[in-house]
Parts: sequence; C-alpha cells; structure tokens
Amino acid sequence: MEATGTNLDLLFRMMSASTERARVIASNIANENTPGYRRQVLRFEDLLRDASKQGRTDLERISATVEEDTLTPARPDGNNVTLELELNASRQNRLLYETYASIMQTHFELLRAGIESGR
Amino acid sequence: MDGISNLFGGMRVAASGMSAERVRIDTIAKNIANASVTHTPEGGPYRRQVAVFEPISHRSPGGGLENEGVRVSAVRDDQTSAFQRIQDPGHPDADANGWVEYPNVNTTREMADLITAVRAYEANMDAQESFVKMAERALKLAQ
Repeated sequence: MEATGTNLDLLFRMMSASTERARVIASNIANENTPGYRRQVLRFEDLLRDASKQGRTDLERISATVEEDTLTPARPDGNNVTLELELNASRQNRLLYETYASIMQTHFELLRAGIESGR
Repeated sequence: MDGISNLFGGMRVAASGMSAERVRIDTIAKNIANASVTHTPEGGPYRRQVAVFEPISHRSPGGGLENEGVRVSAVRDDQTSAFQRIQDPGHPDADANGWVEYPNVNTTREMADLITAVRAYEANMDAQESFVKMAERALKLAQ
C-alpha cells in the first residue's frame, strides 16, 4: 500500500478546490447587489470525472477552473446572483468538504494502525 | 498549497460583503430619517441617496479574473425620480401657490430595500460561518 501516494494527493487537491469554491461562492454572495456582476462557478470534480471516464491516467494534471456562469438568466441590472442558489451551493460544498475530510481521516487512521501493528 | 490562507481569504470576501451591505443599510436609514426634510443646508428638499457597489477584482497570475469581494464605489444622489409636490399652504417652505416640495423618498420602497439588505448581510454571515466550520474540520484531521 502506498502511504503518501497519488490518492492522498488527489484528496488533498479536492479539499483545496472545495476551499477555493467556498471563496468563489462567498464572492458571489458579497456581489449580490453589484450591477453587472456575473456569478462564478468553480469546476473540478466534474472535470476529474470526465477525464477518468475517458480513461486518462494523468489526473494530477487537471486543475480547478473558475468560470463565469452565463446560463443563469440575469436581472434587469445585469446581475445573475440568486441568494438561494448560492446558499444551496455553499451547503453542498460544505458537505463535500466534510466527505473529503472524513476520507482523509480514515486514510490517516489506517496509516497509524499500520505503524502501530508493526511495533 | 495554501489551504488555510485560502480560508482566510474567503472570510475577507464575506466580510467585505457585510461591510458593503452595512453602508447600504446606513444609507437607507438616512433616507428614511430624512423622508420629510424640505429644507437642507444646500437648499431644496433632501434628495434620496443610493449606495453603488462594485466588485474588487484583480487578474490572477494565470490570467483569469479573481474576485476579492465587493466594495461601495460611491453613495450617489438619486436623480432619476422627481421630488413629491404636496399642497400645504401653511408650511414655511410652501411656494406662492401653496405647494411644498418633499424628498423623493418612498418609505415603502426603502423598507423593502432594507429587508433585502439585511438578508444579504445574513447570507454573507452564513458564508463566513461556512469557512469557520471548514477550518474546524481541517483542524480535526490533526487530532
């Protein structure tokens, strides 16, 4: 078993992406009343999913991207932020982060168990 | 990688939203307080004010546009609506025909704006709460 292999690295990058996404959501919420502001979305998990579906093995080369959401219709002032949508995204993101953290914790616990059984 | 400093950056974004909404709430309070002022030091009735927001953003090294929150670019006078004219001959500021010009403040509208601003303030607080929870979870990993 790899102790600090690509899985842990990938998990770490997913947690970082989740942190970054929380920042993007916060800036959407902060700009809820800024005329002309377009909400931003951070994509990472779906990029990873698409890549692994295509059978790519260089997942470490995929990085998170921040894109402007042009699909959500804008209000008359050109702003397309909806608080409900952002709060939903925020909660979803928090659950994702929680999941990644749990997996990482399990990983560490396994490592510790491995070390201790070797004593 | 900069996990924790990213969390702090996010908290700053939420804080910028809170302080901008606060300026908006103050502006609305000022409008409501001055809704009946017919005579200002500059002359004429009070003119309704509006807080205008703009994003704080900069170019990231990668070339993308990174958002660092929001700020109030200006508190401007509302020139789009006209003063209300009310017939009140006994008023000291009435003209020869008994008309008095009152501010272009619509209290109902201000109240509606106030509710929106308070909700937006709360949403920013919620976002900030998220960062705290995430940092706490990350710290638990070390236990």
